[in-house]
Amino acid sequence: MCMEEDGGKVRALIEKATNSTAGEVDPRLLKCIKSLVRYSNTELQIAAHTLMTLMKRNHSQVRFLSLHIVDELFMRSKLFRNLIIKNLDQLLTLSVGFRRNAPLPAPLGIASRLRAKAIEFLEKWNASFGIHYRQLRLGFDYLKNTLKFQFPDSQGNAARIQQERMEREIRTREIMQKKFSALKDNFTSIKEEVLSAIHEIEQCLDIVHTRDELVPLTHIDDEDELHSHELLQIRLASLKEGGRVHENKDNKVVFDTIRELYKLLVTKHLPLIQESINIVVRVDAIDSKVRDSTLKELINLQNKIHAGKRRCENSVSDVLVSRSHSEEEEDFWEEEKVGEVEESTRKTPEEHSDDISLLSICMLNDNSLRCSEKDFSINRNPGCAFVANGSDSMKRKLLAEAPVVKWGSYLDNWGSKDVVLANQRGLELENHWGRVDYDAVIPADKISELNVQATLYKEKQVIAVPCGAPLRSGSFCQRRDLKVCPFHGPIIPRDSEGRPVNQVSSADKRVQYPPNDFVKKLAEESVKNVRTRDREEEEKRMVGKQALKRAKLAKIREHNEVVLRDATFASTSSSATNGGLRYFNGGGESSECSKKHTLSSMLRKKVTRKDKLSRRLLNTRATDAATRQLAEQEDQCYREAFPNQW
Amino acid sequence: MWKEIERRESGKIRPHLFASRLKSRRVASMQLSNSKDIVSPHRGSINSLQVDLTEGRYLLSAASDASVAVYDVQQPQDYEGGGLIAKHKSILVLDKQHEEGHKYAVSSAVWYPIDTGLFITGSYDNSIKVWDTNTTQMVMNFKMPGKVYTTAMSPLATSHMLIAAGTEDVQVRLCDIASGAFAHTLSGHHDGVMTAQWSASNEWVLITGGCDGAIRFWDIRRAGCFRVLDQSHSQLGRRPPVLSRVTAKASTSKVLLGGQNTSAKTGMALRKLSYSNGTKQASAGKILAKTSSKQRLHPGMMSIRDRATAHYGAVTGLRVTEDGMYLLSTGSDSRLRLWDIKSGCNTLVNFETVRLQTNKAIQLAISPDSSHVFVPCMASVKAFDFWSGKTFMTFRGHYENVNCCWFSSRDQELYTAGNDRQILVWSPFVSQEMEEEAALDRDCWSD
Repeated sequence: MCMEEDGGKVRALIEKATNSTAGEVDPRLLKCIKSLVRYSNTELQIAAHTLMTLMKRNHSQVRFLSLHIVDELFMRSKLFRNLIIKNLDQLLTLSVGFRRNAPLPAPLGIASRLRAKAIEFLEKWNASFGIHYRQLRLGFDYLKNTLKFQFPDSQGNAARIQQERMEREIRTREIMQKKFSALKDNFTSIKEEVLSAIHEIEQCLDIVHTRDELVPLTHIDDEDELHSHELLQIRLASLKEGGRVHENKDNKVVFDTIRELYKLLVTKHLPLIQESINIVVRVDAIDSKVRDSTLKELINLQNKIHAGKRRCENSVSDVLVSRSHSEEEEDFWEEEKVGEVEESTRKTPEEHSDDISLLSICMLNDNSLRCSEKDFSINRNPGCAFVANGSDSMKRKLLAEAPVVKWGSYLDNWGSKDVVLANQRGLELENHWGRVDYDAVIPADKISELNVQATLYKEKQVIAVPCGAPLRSGSFCQRRDLKVCPFHGPIIPRDSEGRPVNQVSSADKRVQYPPNDFVKKLAEESVKNVRTRDREEEEKRMVGKQALKRAKLAKIREHNEVVLRDATFASTSSSATNGGLRYFNGGGESSECSKKHTLSSMLRKKVTRKDKLSRRLLNTRATDAATRQLAEQEDQCYREAFPNQW
Repeated sequence: MWKEIERRESGKIRPHLFASRLKSRRVASMQLSNSKDIVSPHRGSINSLQVDLTEGRYLLSAASDASVAVYDVQQPQDYEGGGLIAKHKSILVLDKQHEEGHKYAVSSAVWYPIDTGLFITGSYDNSIKVWDTNTTQMVMNFKMPGKVYTTAMSPLATSHMLIAAGTEDVQVRLCDIASGAFAHTLSGHHDGVMTAQWSASNEWVLITGGCDGAIRFWDIRRAGCFRVLDQSHSQLGRRPPVLSRVTAKASTSKVLLGGQNTSAKTGMALRKLSYSNGTKQASAGKILAKTSSKQRLHPGMMSIRDRATAHYGAVTGLRVTEDGMYLLSTGSDSRLRLWDIKSGCNTLVNFETVRLQTNKAIQLAISPDSSHVFVPCMASVKAFDFWSGKTFMTFRGHYENVNCCWFSSRDQELYTAGNDRQILVWSPFVSQEMEEEAALDRDCWSD
């Protein structure tokens, strides 16, 4: 009695799990089934029996879900395997549908999914338990070799991927080896270069420091007065600022060298060293001794570079940058963005406020240039980049010609002729469009083509000049219109007394004209004035109409949006609440909420437009009418052709 | 099991009984063998299977792709899965590549009953070929008038070497290996001959089943057939109603159910006497009377007898029990009929067949103690109880129709083959499991 009760439970659970329209079995139900079945053989038998009967159900969805449960249990229980294996041919018939007299039942999409899943499962089962069950081997062999079904061959795929990965690794290792040997060859030269640069910087700094008498760091210990944190901070910053060396005319040359060296260090040596470290770390050690020593030296170098950089920045550069912002210097120097990002500690608040994303490569160190593009440089970020002193005229000329380009990542490889590996961007892309070719290369010209920047046409900003016509009060008209002042006609350049500059000639002309001509001219002018006024009015009206229309449209759109929002809100809320509730409802009480999606509704054919049309056109009445009409027409023709025949 | 051995040890049961009990138990536990795998080289449906009669070791199979293969079912050639699966590969394949090979489907292949040095194949290319197994060369070729459906050799023949061949043609031909010519042409069927079987008790009696639904008995020493089985001519039970004066005292139920051994023996003796070409003895009164009455029939009556049918539609399979007393036949009417050879009556055993393949000859198998019959029923093979007709076991494993099966009495193994080109081995269940199997194939509940 108790057993039967339990069995009923499993059966009910399985039936509930398979009575759903979801794409997979509800994991909680599945877990329930598994835990129930795990401890009782009778229940397992009942489960197997129930599942087999469910597999016979004439509905692909039920079969699909049952097959999922079968797979779950099959991979776990030996007894279940034995039970299922006995009817494996039946199971395959019902899930793969390879027999012509027993095709898979109705919802076609799900049937094809069922078939695919069944084939996949069979392959999996065969791979894991094929040795122990001849039936599995037979079924697999039959589907594969006799019916030529396409199996996903997951194992083979995995092996192939593994092999590809191995090959790739070998290749990269070779490349690494090559790079490493190259590094070993010219390691000493790099090292010397870097060391000399650092040395020079140090020397320069020393010079600067000695020439500048240091402001003594008088630390006043009256912290009682400075209660607030901000004040303290400001004070500390100012103290720090005091420790910095300011640039002046005397040490300008030294500063320039420092800048250059710093730039060299940051842009060239540091990445080089980092890359070499990367190589040394990743390379396979043939002689670990050499490798270790190289690595050690490299790390030392890197530390040295960092130290030098920090020193440089701490003592000099900040001041420079800030000053270059405040004043108009002949040449101002810009901090590399890399350095800024890396050394976030030394960022001053003012720098934070700057928009550092906008940088320009073209510099305006030339006076004439600056004059012409003054507003431009104002619009631009004050933290503009600058390259060099620009003392030579050639450079100046070139700079004058150079186009101003927006800053972007494409500037990183400006003018470089390197090819780019398309699929080695450091992240493994899992896509389903096929195999990934890891050696794919994007040629340089393609890259440059891709990096071509679209330039938007920008309207030149027109500065409306004041009208400047003399008023009765003695002042000048201050209206700023583009072309025509409504009171004084077209805007023309005038001299300081408000007389038109170019009108002199016309005035001369006027003198030449006889008086009647003058009258005519006046009339003409007045007509013209009237016309322009009319035109303006018309324009205004048009604009008003358009605005009205636009407003109407906007209103409609708004209304639509509101309606849509309401609709979506209603649907989501109901589905959310009902969907949430459905699980907590007992067995079959979910009818009202699942009215939309039930198993039977899946079987129902969707009414397509074609169906509607055919219902309209192919019903008997329509066809009758059509034939009648045709017959009448024919009759008519006949009568017209042979009027004397009846 | 151990009790049985103990009883045998103490002499309570006889060795024969012990062996038969053990065998029947083994038969009852037959299932698809996982450890024995016959690798079939065939690329078409397999039409015939036979294990040689002398050693019980070599399995001969013939397939529709004109190929014939021989396997060693005792010694596997290869192991797989860590010694778990024994692969029996073909040790000999004759196919179209062979210069003397058959052109079309081979419908039947039988071993020469005396040894394994020869085998005979009959094919749809209108020929019967005799092959030397050791050299894989053809030694003899018989041109037949039509497609060969069946070939048969008598397992107990001592005085002749005849191949009985059933073809599309209405005549049954007997091909003599000794002379290389047709020894006889037996005419009587109205349509092609699907199956032929030699009697298991008499070397001169041939039984043929034709597409006209008739099963005919031929005595090759005389012209014409001497019996046509009639499905309406029936008897209830295994024995014909014995004359009342003989069995007045014996209870009929006892005859029907028990004491089969003794009666079988006497029956065989009687028939042997009657068929022997010596003088007809008076002691075989009943049979004598029957034959004489047949001979005395009116010619018109003769023709009616001649038209009798054993099945509606074609007879597709024939099998004689090992003791030669009963004949089992299948027809395209999906019926399985058990005939008492002695009386020529339909015993009316109702076999629970579902459907049988109708368009092809099928090969039945009978267990040696005549307790079970194995019949290919579409995609499965069914074992029926011989006397009650109840389904005893169903062997499901093939994915397409099964054409033939063979029961190897030596190992109590059943070999089945069919359209899915596989040869499956059904062997008695071995209870003790291997260690590694238990290790690998077990429950795995991770959650």
